[in-house]
Amino acid sequence: MQKDKLKIGIYELTGCAGDALLILDCEEELINIFKATNIESFLMAKSDNINGELDIALVEGSVTTEKEKQELLDIRKRSKVVVAIGICATLGGIQAAFLSEKEWKENFKKVYGKTEMINTNPLQSKPTDEYIKVDYYLPGCPIGKEQFLSTFTRILAGNPPELYRFPVCVECKWNENDCLLNKDILCLGPLTLAGCGSVCINHNLPCVGCWGPSEEGNLTSEFSLLLEKGFDHDFIKQKMANFSGTRISEFLATLKGAKR
Amino acid sequence: MKKISIEHLARVEGSGGITATIDGYVVTDVKFFVNEGPRLIEKLVIGKTPEENVNLVPRICAICSISHKYAAIRALEKALSVKVPPKVTLLRELMHLGEMVESHSLHIYFLALPDYLGFPSVIAMASKFEFEAKIALEMKQFGNHIMKIVSGRFIHGENPVIGGFGKFPSRKELVWIKNKAIQFLPHVIKTVKLFAELNYPDCPEAETLFACLNPEQDEFGFVGDEIILSTGEKISVQDYKSLTNEFIVSHSYCKRSHYQGKPYSVGALARINNLGERLQGESGKMFKKYFNPRWKKNPLYNNAAQALETLYSFERIPEVIDKLLKIPDPPLIKYTKNEGKGAGAVEAPRGTLFDYYEISKGQITYADIITPTAQNAEDIERYCYLAAQKLLEEGQEDNKIRERMDLVVRSFDPCISCSVHMVQLKKAPEESWKEKLASLKKTESLVFVGVGKRNHGDDGAGIELALKLREQGVRNVWLEDEIEEKNSLWETNSSSPLIFLDAVDFGESPGKIALFPLQHVFWNSMLSHKLMPFIPGPANYHQLKKSFVLGIQPESIGEGESISQAIRLAMKKILDEIRN
Repeated sequence: MQKDKLKIGIYELTGCAGDALLILDCEEELINIFKATNIESFLMAKSDNINGELDIALVEGSVTTEKEKQELLDIRKRSKVVVAIGICATLGGIQAAFLSEKEWKENFKKVYGKTEMINTNPLQSKPTDEYIKVDYYLPGCPIGKEQFLSTFTRILAGNPPELYRFPVCVECKWNENDCLLNKDILCLGPLTLAGCGSVCINHNLPCVGCWGPSEEGNLTSEFSLLLEKGFDHDFIKQKMANFSGTRISEFLATLKGAKR
Repeated sequence: MKKISIEHLARVEGSGGITATIDGYVVTDVKFFVNEGPRLIEKLVIGKTPEENVNLVPRICAICSISHKYAAIRALEKALSVKVPPKVTLLRELMHLGEMVESHSLHIYFLALPDYLGFPSVIAMASKFEFEAKIALEMKQFGNHIMKIVSGRFIHGENPVIGGFGKFPSRKELVWIKNKAIQFLPHVIKTVKLFAELNYPDCPEAETLFACLNPEQDEFGFVGDEIILSTGEKISVQDYKSLTNEFIVSHSYCKRSHYQGKPYSVGALARINNLGERLQGESGKMFKKYFNPRWKKNPLYNNAAQALETLYSFERIPEVIDKLLKIPDPPLIKYTKNEGKGAGAVEAPRGTLFDYYEISKGQITYADIITPTAQNAEDIERYCYLAAQKLLEEGQEDNKIRERMDLVVRSFDPCISCSVHMVQLKKAPEESWKEKLASLKKTESLVFVGVGKRNHGDDGAGIELALKLREQGVRNVWLEDEIEEKNSLWETNSSSPLIFLDAVDFGESPGKIALFPLQHVFWNSMLSHKLMPFIPGPANYHQLKKSFVLGIQPESIGEGESISQAIRLAMKKILDEIRN
C-alpha cells in the first residue's frame, strides 16, 4: 500500500441512496479517480469494508435514528475531512420538511401509531452538520456528475472545492433557454444554487429547487421580484422548503422583512 | 435458544437484515427487519400541490424513481380527471421499460447469478462467463440511457409531469434506442435460457398468492387499472386497500400487508404466473418452453421471471418507438380541476406500487403509498421460515441455513442499490488455480507484482511471497512500492500478463488460494481496493484481459501481527507451483 494514498469512505444515512448510485454511475471516470485513493468503505459497491481512520469521508443522507447519529459521530472521529453529499446530508432533504419537532412527532405518531420500535430510536430528520462539523458541502438531489468529479478531485489534491455560488439562472442563460418567469410560470431558478446545468428549464419545466438556496444571490431582492410578478408569498416559501428542509427556516427568517 | 442472523442483508431504502430464532429443532421465529429511518413521506406531501408531489415522492428510492414518479402521476391524473394523449402514454411506457431493463439486469446477473453457478461473486464468475458479464453491464447501461433520454437525468429526472412531458426526445434519440434494442435481442434470449435452466434448489417450496396489475386488452405489461390475483379474482386499483390491508410490526419501519389474513407476493414471478400466457414473440416461446408448476411455489424462480420480463422489454421497446415516431409531439395537457381523489398503480421492477391521493383546493390532503417490499415482507419471512425449518430437520449446519435465507431474501430483489453488499464471497472459483497458472506459464512470460502491507499480519503475504520468489531466482518480480509510475508497468511489459500476489478476503477458510481475472476487480471491488491503481487505461485493455490476481484468504490483518501459519503454508504452495 502506498503511503501517500488517501483513505476514502463513502457512507449512506437515510435517503434514497441516489448520491451513492450516481457515484457508481460515473463508471469510467470513477476508476481513474479511485486509482489515486484507497476506498476503505463503500457499502453499495463492495463488501470488504473497513471502519478505520480516513482522510476523506463522503456522507449521504440525513440523520433519522439514534443509531445513525452514533455512526455519524464515529465517522467524524475517524476522518480528517468530512464532505456532506446530496441535499439530505447538506440541508436535511425532503424528509426534513417538518420545521418543528412537535410537528414531526405528531406526524410520526400518525404514521406509526403507538408501536414502539425495538431496533433503533427514531429522530427528526436533520442534516449532518446538526451533529458534526462538516468541512465541505456538495449539494443536489441527486448530486451532479460533473460537479462531483471536479469537487472530489480538488479535495483529493488538498484544495477546497469551488462550487458555483450563483443561481441556476446563470446556467440557464448559458443554455439559451427562454425565461419561464416571463411566461408567468413560477420557477425557483433565481433562488436556487446552480450546478445542475438548468436541467428542468432545458426541458421547458420550472426549476424545483432541488439544490437548495443559492448563497450569493441577492435572495431578498429575487424574492421581492417574484412577489412583484404576482406569485404568492407562502407558496414560494413552501416550494423552497420542499428540498431544503431544516436549513431553509434560517433563510426564511431573514426574509420576514420582504414586502408583500 | 440460538439466533442465526444476517445483518445488512439487504437494505430496503436503508439497512435491513434477517434473524431466525431456533429452539432445539424448531424455528420459533423469523424476522425480516428494515432499519430505514422514518421519513414520513406520506405526511410531508400534505399541503403541497400535485406538481410538487410528483417532484417529491420519487425521492423515496433512487433505483425505482421512475416507477414512483409514474405511479404518482397516474393517481393524480385519475384524481384530477386528466386524460393524456397516446404519445404520452407510449413515452411513459418507454421510460418504464428502461427502468425494468436496468433494474432486472443488475439483479439477475450481478446479485443472483454468482450463487447459482457456484461462484463467489461476479468477479470470479467472469473468469468462466466473461461474455455474460460484459453483456450484463451493457444491458444495465442501456436501461440507464433510456431513462436519461426520456426523463432528463439518470436519477430523479423531472421531465415526466402531470399531463405529459416537458419535452419529447428527438427522433434521433428514439431511433438510437430502437436500434440498440434490436441489436441486443439475441443476447437477451440467451439470458432467458441461462436463468430458466438454472438448478434452483427445491427448498423452500410452498404455494402462495400472487398479485399484479392486469394490463388492458389482455396484453402483457406493467400498468393497469385493475389488480389480478392468481386465483383469477380481480380488484379495481381504486379498491387497492382490500388487497393490501397495511399493518405495522415493531421490528421494522417497513409496513406490512396481508390479503384475507394471508401473505402474498408481488414482483416478476407474480406477473409471469398471472400473465405469462399473454406473452408473444420470443418471450412467448420461451414462456411455453420453460414455465412449469414449480414457478408457482418457489420464490427462487423470480430470477427466471425477471429474465423473461427483460426479454419482453427488449421486444416491446422497438414496437413502442415505431408508434412514437409516427405521432407528432402533443402539448402539455392543462387541467382546471382542483379537487378529487384517486389511486394509481404501476408495476415497479420488484412489484406492484400503489399511490393514492386526496386533493382539496389544489393541495394534497391525504397520501398513501404502498411499496412492493412492504407487500412482500410477510412472504419473505414465511419462505425464510420454511427454508430454515426444513434445513434444520435435515440436520444442516447454521451456515447452510444462513446461506439459504440469504438466497430467499435476495430472490425477492428487495432494493438493488442497497442490496449489492449482500453479495458475500462464499466460495473460491471452481477452476483450479494451479492448472490455470500452469497453462499461463506455458505460453507467456509472466510478471509478478507483490501487493500488501508488511507487519500487518496476513496482509503482508503478497510482499513476502514476492521477496521469496526473488530470492529463489524467479525473474520479473516487483514489489508494489518499487513501481513509482503504475502506468510504466503496463507500457514496458505490454505483452506479458501481470500476476498480482495479494491477500484477498473472499470469505473462504484461511489459506485458501484462488486466481481472479484482474479486469473485473473494479466491477465489484471485493478483491482488494489496493489493486485499483494498477488498473490501466483503455489502451492496455488487451494486457489487462490477460492479467490475474493470485489471492490467499487471510486469517487476520492486524497491525504489528506476523503472518499466520495457514497463510505461510499457502505461500509455500504458490512458491512451489511458480518455481515448478
